[in-house]
Amino acid sequence: MKILVANRGEIAVRIIRACREMGLRSVAVYSDCDRAARHVREADQAYHIGPSEAARSYLRIDALVDAARRSGADAVHPGYGFLAENAGFARACRDAGLTFIGPSPEAIATMGSKTAAREAAVRAGVAVVPGTERPLDERVSDEETARIAARVGYPLVVKAVSGGGGKGMRTVDRAAALLGAIRSARSEAGSAFGDSAVYLERRIQRPRHIEIQLLGDEHGTIVPFVERECSIQRRHQKVVEESPSLAVSGALRREMAAAAAAVARAVGYTSAGTIEFLLDEAGGFYFLEMNTRLQVEHPVTEMVTSVDLVQWQIRIARGERLAVDPGRALTPEGHAIECRIYAEDPDQGFLPSPGLIRGLRPAGGPGVRDDSGVSAGYTVPVHYDSMIAKLIAWAPSRPDAVARMARALGEYQVLGIPTTIPFFLWLMRQPAYGRGEYDTTYLDRLLAERTAAGSAASRSSFSALSSAEEDVVAIGAALDACLRASGGHGAQAAADRGRWLQTARREALRG
Amino acid sequence: MTFEIELSGRLRRVSVERARPGCYRVTLDGAVHEVDAARVGEFGLSLLFDGDATTSRELQVVPSGRIAELLVRLEGRTVAVSVNARRTGRGARPEVHADGEQQITAPMPGRVVRVLAAEGDEVAAGQAVVVVEAMKMENELRSPKAGRVTRVAVTPGMSVEGGRVLIVIE
Repeated sequence: MKILVANRGEIAVRIIRACREMGLRSVAVYSDCDRAARHVREADQAYHIGPSEAARSYLRIDALVDAARRSGADAVHPGYGFLAENAGFARACRDAGLTFIGPSPEAIATMGSKTAAREAAVRAGVAVVPGTERPLDERVSDEETARIAARVGYPLVVKAVSGGGGKGMRTVDRAAALLGAIRSARSEAGSAFGDSAVYLERRIQRPRHIEIQLLGDEHGTIVPFVERECSIQRRHQKVVEESPSLAVSGALRREMAAAAAAVARAVGYTSAGTIEFLLDEAGGFYFLEMNTRLQVEHPVTEMVTSVDLVQWQIRIARGERLAVDPGRALTPEGHAIECRIYAEDPDQGFLPSPGLIRGLRPAGGPGVRDDSGVSAGYTVPVHYDSMIAKLIAWAPSRPDAVARMARALGEYQVLGIPTTIPFFLWLMRQPAYGRGEYDTTYLDRLLAERTAAGSAASRSSFSALSSAEEDVVAIGAALDACLRASGGHGAQAAADRGRWLQTARREALRG
Repeated sequence: MTFEIELSGRLRRVSVERARPGCYRVTLDGAVHEVDAARVGEFGLSLLFDGDATTSRELQVVPSGRIAELLVRLEGRTVAVSVNARRTGRGARPEVHADGEQQITAPMPGRVVRVLAAEGDEVAAGQAVVVVEAMKMENELRSPKAGRVTRVAVTPGMSVEGGRVLIVIE
């Protein structure tokens, strides 16, 4: 089997690693600016598919199918993002005789519509967040819209039917703000997803985002896994995930897993997928949506269950029967945390910071996993998502995992561009995070408080140093300048080069 | 050699004196530190501080791309540090308290536009000695002190990496 990886960055590297471990050949695709990217170098073959803009390369179904055909690949793995949840892409692969490593185009289409997905959940007997069952009709009067919203109840959330990643989403606290929120959500959804339809959902107060990973094979077996806790979000984007959740008891886990499996079964789901739930303070949980693909945060599940989800996706696509012990899948061993390392400057409001990575030394040691898509000498392009790596720490207990993550973040060197590492170091020290007392609104509130408190103070950087550390840095900077001035490093290198040349000349004369 | 180091909005004077190979006597705000310094690769710096107990610290020092500014990483955090910014910065007020040999280095990747001094020339403190173009701007690099040019390492038109030695003045 030869697999074309229709993606880039860390997830392409992750899939290529699985291929190599399974003795399968891998084919990378790349845009202009990714010629020297890590996934291209690590794959067995690589095909250029177009200019740097994603719309003209990684999002081009024809170019990807053509690359698969030319390379002689039998299967296509879409990764996450780009075309991973595009039913048209899954169908195009099938039509071209390629195995799509993911669910059927029909399952993708059903779960891709949030309102159709809610209907599927209701049919499976799973509670959904109360809201409108269908997209809001654009033709209804403002008065009728207001009546519908009042039935849902305030506060509520306006959501894009085809949405994801927090786009096309607006929270509305009172009736007066409703129509403006609907207008802006529609316009944002239209430009982001090509579908401006929105619906309304009641807002659950201080919810936790809990999701259930599952695998389904083509023989009707569905295995749900221990939950992932993804409540650490900045502006609706997950930044830290962990497994298991401190908020989920063994009994609740079994209940949520059964609900997730029921929804998956209702749509004949195969491959890896994730059912997302909101968990309220009383322990009630509501179906939110299903992601019909591998997720960014899949490594935390792999770390606590020792199941390789990517390898299983490939096996399932080959028609193999799932051989994962359901009891073990629901019994976490230890605790795992993932931090998404972005090329963003946390001290500049998380502004993207693309550019040349001049030096890179990932963290290592016991219980540490680095899923990275970059290397030293690579220029992080401006064209794609700013995530460059995921750092995962595993330990027997949550406090140990938090301590291990802090240790690993301190070790992780990315030189040349700012990253979110200093922010994560700060987050790991927050008392509420340490206690696991948080919900999806926690991080935005914490950051807002920090900004308010720090605006007057000068020490508002996530990289703030103690005065003893400042002394070390001042001394180090002076010594660096001094050593460069005396040419220590350069002179030594030049001397080595001279000696090498001398030896080479002597050898040449002898020959 | 004495350096003006600006960090967290505070200007500090650091003087460095070589005690023996690899070892330096560093004076910072009047306090004297014995520091054993070893380079590790292109950017790494391992420091051993001799106090009551030997303390080991690892730093990475990378040119930021801005004139006279370095990014220094310490235990997962990175801070911007200016070194002798008042001497080498554009329109800066030159001050003479640099001792020993001084190197003029490229503060960022760019192209050498003009070389304004030749080997053997006597230059005054604050005199422009080389012009480097980067990000569509011409940056005049000035001598931090009065002295004699002992080496000119570049010619006009040459592309240079950040941190590359351009001219040495003694």
